[in-house]
Amino acid sequence: MTTTPLDKTSALPLGKSGLSHDAVYWIGFCVVLALLIAAPLVLSEFWRRFLTEVLIWGLLAMSSDLLIGYTGIVSFGHSAFFGLGMYGAAGALLLVSPPNLWLAMLFGLAGAAGAALFVAYFSTRLRDIYFAITTLIFSQIFYVIIFTWTAVTGGENGLIFDRPHLSIPFLYNARFTSTTMHWFVLAVVTASYLILRRITQSPFGMVLQSIRENEFRTRAIGYPVQRYKIVAVMLSGLFAGLAGVLYAIQNEFAAPDFVFFLTSGDTVIYNVMGGVGTLVGPIVGAGFFQLVRQLLAEVFGDQFPYLIPLGIIFIVMIIFLPQGLLGFARRWLNK
Amino acid sequence: MTEKWKEEKWAEDIWHRGKTTRRRLVGWGAGAIGAMMLVPAPWRAAFGAAKPFKIGSEQPLSGAGAAGGKTAVVGLQMAADRINKNGGINGRPVELDIVDDESSPAVARQKSEKLVQEDNIDAHVGGFLSNICLACMPVWVDAKVVNMISVCLDTTLTTTHCNRYSFRPYDYAPAQAVAFAPTLVTMAKKWHIAYLDYAWGQATRDAYIAEIKKNGGQVTGTTGIPLNTPDMTPFLSKISGDIEGLFGIFFGKDGVTVATQAYDLGLTKKYKWAGDGSISESTNLIAIGNKIDGFVAINRYIPVFQGPLDTPYHHAWFDEAKARLAKIDPSGPLPDKYVQSNYEALNALKIGMEKSKFEGRGDTMKLIEALEGLELKAGPDFPQGDKTIRKEDHQAFPQEFIFEVSGGTYHLKETVPGAKTMVPPACTFSA
Repeated sequence: MTTTPLDKTSALPLGKSGLSHDAVYWIGFCVVLALLIAAPLVLSEFWRRFLTEVLIWGLLAMSSDLLIGYTGIVSFGHSAFFGLGMYGAAGALLLVSPPNLWLAMLFGLAGAAGAALFVAYFSTRLRDIYFAITTLIFSQIFYVIIFTWTAVTGGENGLIFDRPHLSIPFLYNARFTSTTMHWFVLAVVTASYLILRRITQSPFGMVLQSIRENEFRTRAIGYPVQRYKIVAVMLSGLFAGLAGVLYAIQNEFAAPDFVFFLTSGDTVIYNVMGGVGTLVGPIVGAGFFQLVRQLLAEVFGDQFPYLIPLGIIFIVMIIFLPQGLLGFARRWLNK
Repeated sequence: MTEKWKEEKWAEDIWHRGKTTRRRLVGWGAGAIGAMMLVPAPWRAAFGAAKPFKIGSEQPLSGAGAAGGKTAVVGLQMAADRINKNGGINGRPVELDIVDDESSPAVARQKSEKLVQEDNIDAHVGGFLSNICLACMPVWVDAKVVNMISVCLDTTLTTTHCNRYSFRPYDYAPAQAVAFAPTLVTMAKKWHIAYLDYAWGQATRDAYIAEIKKNGGQVTGTTGIPLNTPDMTPFLSKISGDIEGLFGIFFGKDGVTVATQAYDLGLTKKYKWAGDGSISESTNLIAIGNKIDGFVAINRYIPVFQGPLDTPYHHAWFDEAKARLAKIDPSGPLPDKYVQSNYEALNALKIGMEKSKFEGRGDTMKLIEALEGLELKAGPDFPQGDKTIRKEDHQAFPQEFIFEVSGGTYHLKETVPGAKTMVPPACTFSA
């Protein structure tokens, strides 16, 4: 897989406008962020929640981009990280009274990190399809455990709980509304994006990209490739877990269906649709997928088999837009 | 924008030829509003009758639960058509807004939010898979919409996860265990339970263990089998030892698998063979054939005309349901409990809406009060029989049918009245 990170040409000046790519990037970033901040003020309740959910799925997809786009390994274990994050948060919200937001996040991240460490330790010894299959098997193991361990996980029924208050110690404590929920999720997703962007631009990120381009050569020049991969899988799992925590808080339930490998499949689809190796692309992909599905339901009715046209769109995109929506947009803008 | 339009011929006709003046327009408008305010309420109701009640329904029309979801919709549609044919509810027709939850809690959650926020449903009747019923509970509570559950079996829906807005107008596992255990203990003293190893199977297993013990019997062992296991032989072949009866807790295609493989292994001849009625649902009988002969089970509904089910209204309901089912499945299955409970759930809601003079979501609390303790009488609305929605937990206790399967059909052995299936309420509604 050969992909180019967005920032490769960031230092170059942009021909006609005279603005550097950095300036254009940050202006674009601020505009999009401002639009996302303002969105809940104009959107109806349903679309507000829809947008929030797109951000959460986007965060999950973005987390896997660290592996797919930057390290060159495809993980089907993200459903496990997402699910463990969700169940970790659920555990905290059910065990601690009154439910505490930050404790839920801590428990969720701990759950996802634990699962990621376990998966990473074994799977990073393998490459390519073997890595992908191993992560898939691990996610299915977690699924079966969660599905059958009813006394703890609620089994097939999952867990339902109350949403915690949005609390900042000594400063603020109020019930979440759909608007504050959106802003909270947006803040977490934005912070995650900036952290992941920094990681991919750091020397560590460069080594990951080197592994992606040529793993043998990276090893040959002395980098402990497996250790780098373990850290990459763990970081990726941590952000996937964070997405799971946000989903649990937004929807007040955790279900084993999210741990099933189909969630990982969706994540890969979001990446391919949006553009791998871009971080923002997977969020765009998640939004595009969800929006097309919703619009098809609006136009053709709820029982329309939307997966057929979506599948066709996906195939067309792979053939004609192999770099995804963001890759296409970037090429078009650079013309 | 200029005022040029006023110079157009048509505008002149309106404003400058004495036909319509602003003063006249205001005068007529005020008169019309005043008249509307003074018109008697029944007239207003009659004019407002055109606006239908929107009843949302979430059903699995694709994915794992699709087969059952499609038959559930038949029951709902039957009830809605009948209500509309008889003049609607409070003079207003009923419009069903059915959404496919794709057997996925994530999709179900999104679609139920759309039902309450975009489609503005007045109430919800539906829910097939328990995990989806549970996942969507907060949506109905937040939107203050009555949720009449129509298939979901999970016990906690009316116990630990109960809420003021959700009602279950049919039975659940603990009530069936109470009803069936005395018969089981007369069949055999020592039972082994084979069950589907997930939430519903485990909860049902626990209920039967407790009730068999309470009635002087014993459960000597249990075998959990994962969902969708195509070959159950490795699990079933280990069932042996000091047991007299084998009790199965399965449904759907797993029910077909367990019935055929237990027969092939000789277990159904060696031991008394009983279980949850879902194993022998009419849609499964064709696939299992005579391998299920001698199976004794319990169900809230069986498609026969025996005992309390031999009534003219059950005959009429059965014929119509069968005809409708034949349209979606040419093999012509008989109506099952999914058709029955959806049909009756919408009728229960109808009676509550009529009793509370429900006009819209603003009347939800009045509707809840009307539904709490509501007695549903056997008749064309409730062909299964009498039932009461208990106020304390919104759980109904219908009569249960204990039957034996032989020759590809059901033979009613015993009818247990709803009152003899009662389980103490275990629900505390949050304030």
